[in-house]
Amino acid sequence: MAKTDVCTTCSVKLVKEGFIRMPCPKCGEEIGRCEACRKLGNLYKCPKCEFVGP
Amino acid sequence: MEIQEEDVVVVQDNEDVSPSSGDENYLVPIDEYLAAGVHIGTQQKTKDMMRFVYRVRTDGLYVLDIHATNDRIIAAAELLSRYDISRVLVVSSRQYGQFPTKMFAKATGCKSAIGRFIPGMLTNSKTEYYFEPEIIIVTDPFGDAQVIREAKAVGVPIVALCDSNNLTTNVDFVIPTNNKGRKALSLVYWLFARELCNLNKRPFNYELSDFEVPL
Repeated sequence: MAKTDVCTTCSVKLVKEGFIRMPCPKCGEEIGRCEACRKLGNLYKCPKCEFVGP
Repeated sequence: MEIQEEDVVVVQDNEDVSPSSGDENYLVPIDEYLAAGVHIGTQQKTKDMMRFVYRVRTDGLYVLDIHATNDRIIAAAELLSRYDISRVLVVSSRQYGQFPTKMFAKATGCKSAIGRFIPGMLTNSKTEYYFEPEIIIVTDPFGDAQVIREAKAVGVPIVALCDSNNLTTNVDFVIPTNNKGRKALSLVYWLFARELCNLNKRPFNYELSDFEVPL
């Protein structure tokens, strides 16, 4: 599994403190979430299985 | 966002259960969910949790979608099974969540932190209780705000049991459920532990009553 270096929601590079990487709950594809999207509770969509979170 | 009248769906069998698509894999019969009050929300709602709200009762209580709760417990167990279970931290400062949390940790082999969360547990390596988890489960994002703040600082994903009045700020996976009721918390943690043990091929010899807080 390749490590994603961008936010799945907004495509911002994951450099600022507060980002996370986690596997998709359904398929295991890696999902990245930037600090801003986590703070705002923005939805993410798995690029592989289209699972929508959080 | 206000719920419009046309959005409210009336179901013949039980008004609090949304229509089933017919292919759901229920962990327990729907009646058990209803008896434990897993679907009962609060009289407040947030925009973040609106997508899990099925309807609003005449007494003003928001009812959560049981199908979403069921699916999310299964998905959360799958998510946690991808991590080393000894590096999972489950937290509850809420009184009724402490016993189920302790039992969950005992059944699955993860670490629990109940009662007051000692600040610095995740960020200060000099403290006696320092721990570096890979993922954290919180019982209530409001009550466990300190854990969420520290998890954000160290970049750890958070799975949270959220009621209709919770915000999903810094939460990476939501399990929509009643996080205030004694029976609801017991049932959710019992199902969660059972699913996780099944996926991790770990023996699970607990009944639902073992997860209930003794009165």
